[in-house]
Amino acid sequence: MANLIDRTGVITLNRQIAKDIYKIVLQFDDFPQSIHGAQFAHVKLNDKAHVLRRPFCICDYNIADKTLTMCYAVVGKGTEILSKYPVGEKLKVMLPLGNGFVPDKNVKKIVLLGGGMGSAVLPAISRTNPELEYYTYLGFANKDKVALEEEMRALSKEITVATDDGSYGRKGFVTNVLAEDMERISPDLIFCCGPEVMYKALKKALAPFNVPIIVSLEARMGCGIGACLVCNCKVKRNGEEGYARACIDGPVFNLDEVVL
Amino acid sequence: MSNLKVNIAGVEFKNPVITASGTFGFGREYDRFYNIEELGGICTKGLTIKPRLGNPPPRIAESCSGMLNSVGLQNPGVDRYLQTDDLYLAKRDLTVIANVAGSTLEDYIAIAEKMNSSHADMIELNISCPNVKEGGMAFGVLPKSVEEVTSAVKKACSDKPIITKLSPNVACIADNARAAESGGADAVSLINTLSGMAVDYKTRRPILFNNNGGMSGPCVKPVALKMVWDCYNAVKIPIIGLGGITSYTDVLEFMICGARAVQVGTHNFTEPCGARDIARDLAKYVEEHDMDINDIVGTLILNK
Repeated sequence: MANLIDRTGVITLNRQIAKDIYKIVLQFDDFPQSIHGAQFAHVKLNDKAHVLRRPFCICDYNIADKTLTMCYAVVGKGTEILSKYPVGEKLKVMLPLGNGFVPDKNVKKIVLLGGGMGSAVLPAISRTNPELEYYTYLGFANKDKVALEEEMRALSKEITVATDDGSYGRKGFVTNVLAEDMERISPDLIFCCGPEVMYKALKKALAPFNVPIIVSLEARMGCGIGACLVCNCKVKRNGEEGYARACIDGPVFNLDEVVL
Repeated sequence: MSNLKVNIAGVEFKNPVITASGTFGFGREYDRFYNIEELGGICTKGLTIKPRLGNPPPRIAESCSGMLNSVGLQNPGVDRYLQTDDLYLAKRDLTVIANVAGSTLEDYIAIAEKMNSSHADMIELNISCPNVKEGGMAFGVLPKSVEEVTSAVKKACSDKPIITKLSPNVACIADNARAAESGGADAVSLINTLSGMAVDYKTRRPILFNNNGGMSGPCVKPVALKMVWDCYNAVKIPIIGLGGITSYTDVLEFMICGARAVQVGTHNFTEPCGARDIARDLAKYVEEHDMDINDIVGTLILNK
């Protein structure tokens, strides 16, 4: 019955990789035997002022080495505190949580699409299903924000970076950049993680191509395991609108069922 | 010989640590972390006659040593509960308190009648949810209506002991405890969340969609301790104390102020095994001191 564990990891790396964006690596003694891409870790901070855990997507992992990599943007006091933790600091982490992304058997060619910090979810997807072919598109506001390009290059057949202002890579919203390449790539599926406005844009930009789009949603969370009902997202299933829990029914949903 | 068992209105709890309504679902999720039978009891998510979707998100915001929520009583409705979670919990060696809410007196009576057939050991009457317009809060403010709704539910659900859960957002909580007692409550639990607001200075908007929410967590503990003490001096019925408990020493403080048992809420989010660990630590303390936990209830020594 009991199959979830709150694990303790030791920080082996915690450094800035782009403007306001950090990469943190934790080493565990006790590590899960399997992880799906797009699952998340619920991280406790080591001070009593912060009672809520922080849900971060699992950016990358190594089951043999028992290591977990996460990337986070410093957006508030909690992430600011996290960014100052030194190597050697211990953190309690619930993982892996959420449904994760499990591609269907008939899917061979996937476009991985990341918007800003959403790109952090992509490496673990490719890591989990290395036999598939990945075309990666990363979009950022500008050159200073570009992150994870090298990591994804190693995990992709092809990679494209776009910036909104054209200061790095191709110019324009990455959703439009992808739309330009869709005919050439002809993927079986799009996996996208980014802000909600990106999902709206994506839906519009890819409407002519009739390809399934899977997204990973972000929400303010409480328990992280489905009990408290605070992270609900609006979905439409069987013609009826209702709430699904991002933490356990998600974070991965079909874009078609998400009410934006 | 040491003893950790407590008794509230004839219902036995193997230890005084109960998980608080709304933070623990119906137990299933936390069962994935540990055997919930180690707890003294659980209090279910608030149930209503009809299923409720709850408020739009965001429903949670953090504050210093605390948090605000505005879930808005999302729940599957009492019928679904009786068909599923009630049966799941009935199979467990665990004392179960079913939390019920309504928006009219008729709602409360209807749900109380239905709960007669449930396996729950006790009913907790939520008349203090700050997150829905008609979420019972109207009943929780004035002593007269606290008495009225408690009395109506007591009549409708005569088989089970009734706990009236009190709001701290009132003029005098001791008066409301007295009113619950007059209405026939077998116990009171306190405190529900404190009404509050979290604001984003960048957008100049409240973080919660609902604008306001209920504040909980360690930051409310001093308020809760004083209110438990005030109520302990006002009523004879047992008190279940809650508000910011994160350790066995917090439990002892609440019991010294007059609580016979406690509920652990927000701490479940910080530490998924937190409530169980508190129960274990408390057991160790009681054994080490070879004491009956009941002996410390209401033993607060006031300074002159």
